[in-house]
Amino acid sequence: MSALTLYNYELDENSYRVRLLLSMLGIQHEIYSVNMLPGREEKSPALLALNPCGTLPFIEQDGTVMFGAEAILAHLARNNDASRKWLPIDGPDFTATMMWLGFAAGPLQAAVKAREVAVFAVGGHLERLKAGARAAFRIMDDHMVLRQIEGKDWFAADHPTIADLALIPSFALSRDFNIDHEEFPALRLWLRRFRRLPGFITMPGIPDYH
Amino acid sequence: MTSQPIWSPVALSNMVEPSTSTGAVVNGAELVVWRDSSGKAHVWEDRCPHRGMRMSFGFVRGDHLACLYHGWQYDTAGQCSHIPAHPQLEVPQTIRMQTFAAAERNGIIWAGATADANAALLPAERTGLVTVRSLYADCTSAKALKVLAATPLPGSADAPTVEAITENYVSLTSGPIRLLVAIQIMGEEKTALHMMATEGAPVAALARYAQDLRLILETPVAEAA
Repeated sequence: MSALTLYNYELDENSYRVRLLLSMLGIQHEIYSVNMLPGREEKSPALLALNPCGTLPFIEQDGTVMFGAEAILAHLARNNDASRKWLPIDGPDFTATMMWLGFAAGPLQAAVKAREVAVFAVGGHLERLKAGARAAFRIMDDHMVLRQIEGKDWFAADHPTIADLALIPSFALSRDFNIDHEEFPALRLWLRRFRRLPGFITMPGIPDYH
Repeated sequence: MTSQPIWSPVALSNMVEPSTSTGAVVNGAELVVWRDSSGKAHVWEDRCPHRGMRMSFGFVRGDHLACLYHGWQYDTAGQCSHIPAHPQLEVPQTIRMQTFAAAERNGIIWAGATADANAALLPAERTGLVTVRSLYADCTSAKALKVLAATPLPGSADAPTVEAITENYVSLTSGPIRLLVAIQIMGEEKTALHMMATEGAPVAALARYAQDLRLILETPVAEAA
């Protein structure tokens, strides 16, 4: 099998989601560094030929391209995690895992976009995106408040899943667009727990010290 | 602006783990609430005297809080004791944090308005309490009090019996359920409610009640009428 290549931009939050799982599962891979800013290389003809969406991240292996961070996470977990914990395909936790994975790709993308507007100065309505991000964090905090009352530490199962992994970056990076953590105490504890898992790596904007 | 109570709640005790820090706003003032490795809580102004970086972004090492920016370390008295860029330097006494009194009572961390706030003014101690949650809402504390007094607790159709323990600490009772709410005035239109209940209370139902409460708290008054 040929090497897996991640098309990556170091400051891109969705690329970080995939880097994080690659690290936590210890998956061998190569990195193609995309000049997203200022080059917008992901929209170049050469890269559009690979990923017609013009988005990051995407992966290529054995001539097959897969785009979309959440799909890549599910694909990598399914093929590289013998414990079947990161993607609990056969168990009752599959439903909640997929629901929160969808939440990361849906409502939580307001946070991803808010950060892009704040950090990369790309176009967008920052206040509206921040309001969307705050609403998403509240839904997550409310969920983790109830999970904690049930004695559960993670979003979808008794152990971390790719749902937790997909949700973590937006909260960890929220200070980039001026949303602090103090209003989300249950998420603060959850982030601290996740940071202590083997293989956790940071990206610029997430402190190494904590 | 209302006068500031001597003691303000800033967080639920078990939501700030040993060796961690968090921010808290009281009447517009930014504070850092942190626990040293022995578990003792501290409340300081949320500014590093060096470059003004927020100390709540910092990290705890033993009984010191360090600034994320340049790693300046402050001991539990708020005195700077180590500057990594100048490891040999004996740090001048003048480099220190503004500190506030910190106390834990009834499952809540309280911040004093000054460093020597009178602990006798804290609410009376109660035992047998369980954590419900902290709720942050964009509303005045006056509105929060009004809505708390008017909203039935889970399992009841009637408004609860309200007892003001102090000016920012109320007890709501309905049948066997007793909910204690400590009110943190963050700003004119920002309030945090820190909730504990008596043992045996339906904690999950109370957490959902709190979640529903936020919708009422953030509905503009004209529409709510």
